[in-house]
Amino acid sequence: MYRKQVRRRRAVLALLIVGSFALLTLTYGQGSNSLQRGVTAVFAPVSTVLDRALKPARDLINWVDETFDARGKNQKLEEELQVARKEAVSGKAALAENKELSALLKLDKSAAIPEGAEPVTGRVIALSPTVWFSDVTIDVGSGDGVTVNDPVVNGDGLIGRVTAVTGGTSKVMLLSDHSSKVSVRIVPAGVQGIVKASVGEPERLVLGFLNSDKSIRKGESVVTAGWHGEGIESRFPPNIPVGEVTKATLIEQEAQERSIVRPYADLRNLDTVQVLTGGTP
Amino acid sequence: MILTPKITIRLVLVGLFGVLLQLTFFSQVELFHVAPNVLPALVVCFGLLGGSMTGAVSGFAIGFLLDCLLIQPLGGASLVLIAIGYAAGTFRERFEIHSRLVVPLMCAVMTLLGELGFGAVEAMFGIDTSVSVLVVRDILIKSLFAFFLGWAIYVGMRRLVRPALVDEATVRRTRRPTVLGA
Repeated sequence: MYRKQVRRRRAVLALLIVGSFALLTLTYGQGSNSLQRGVTAVFAPVSTVLDRALKPARDLINWVDETFDARGKNQKLEEELQVARKEAVSGKAALAENKELSALLKLDKSAAIPEGAEPVTGRVIALSPTVWFSDVTIDVGSGDGVTVNDPVVNGDGLIGRVTAVTGGTSKVMLLSDHSSKVSVRIVPAGVQGIVKASVGEPERLVLGFLNSDKSIRKGESVVTAGWHGEGIESRFPPNIPVGEVTKATLIEQEAQERSIVRPYADLRNLDTVQVLTGGTP
Repeated sequence: MILTPKITIRLVLVGLFGVLLQLTFFSQVELFHVAPNVLPALVVCFGLLGGSMTGAVSGFAIGFLLDCLLIQPLGGASLVLIAIGYAAGTFRERFEIHSRLVVPLMCAVMTLLGELGFGAVEAMFGIDTSVSVLVVRDILIKSLFAFFLGWAIYVGMRRLVRPALVDEATVRRTRRPTVLGA
């Protein structure tokens, strides 16, 4: 009797493990399948309601975390503010000049949203619980015009791209995901490179730049370059703000051909995002 | 645990609610820059209360739902959570839990192993970038969260499935009658 029970347990365990491997083999590399679309269609409304209901509690806990964090950042921010004030004065003059030139060249006023792209606003309703994945699920999908590879931004800059869609939800792979690669350009230096993640550090991206004689400096801005090539699946339109160079020592630039970039968007704390639909080249 | 239809429905609802709560709440709050992951602890509790089969099946089901809702390749999370549930259930079948520290410790250790398991599954398909040492810190903090949350989950689940627990019924039968006026 006992042996029979043990055999049955082992058979169930083996079945579960084989089933998991079979599912993994069948679904790896696919965007989304009909089963996932069905399950998300059922649970997306529940997730949305729970997400909204739990927002006050989430905000309270995050406020506690941010309060501890803010104490350390206060001094640094005051110093940055002084520098920013000086830059703002010169920036205003440059802005006025830019307006005139843009009118002359008939350029689009908004650099962040590329021409032809239609922004669709969505909310983050689910996040991956492990440290290894940097994916979020948002509450807009193919029914709203979202397609795979659409860039996703928030008020600060690029946050990632859509990697799978269902009728009412989409999966967004963040810049901090280990498989994310974005072709970028550094302004004003003009150096081009590829931004990759550093697993476990969403506030630190690694910029591996292509061979260039020009050097880059701390504080320079990084925007999408708009090209894609071998091994780089990014199809981001050009000139979407990505982040700023925070570490660019000559040794790193010359010996390792890399520097460190801090993304403009806070990838740990996302709420409302915009999917740029219709503009994917 | 005696699995009646009523108890099975309760367990299914706990699993569903656990996954939804993880995705909409725990994954989106941060303390010390780390979001808690309660799912390994939840599966440990299933295993400790129901045995190895309940642990393994619940691990598979919770992992499957998680992968479906996150639109990830199916089976990855299931593999890790099956191992956690089966290990917790086997522990329960072989040893008696005497200390109150066993459950939270088990949740913390299994969360740590679970995170390493998720990493191993991901590495199986290739990680094409650098991995920061901060991952180790994040995993340890997640385990610490599991230590504290695990006990609460266990107590809540035990209360929910109390009528089905075999040892609970034994305790009730062997309890001495209260003598009034003594």
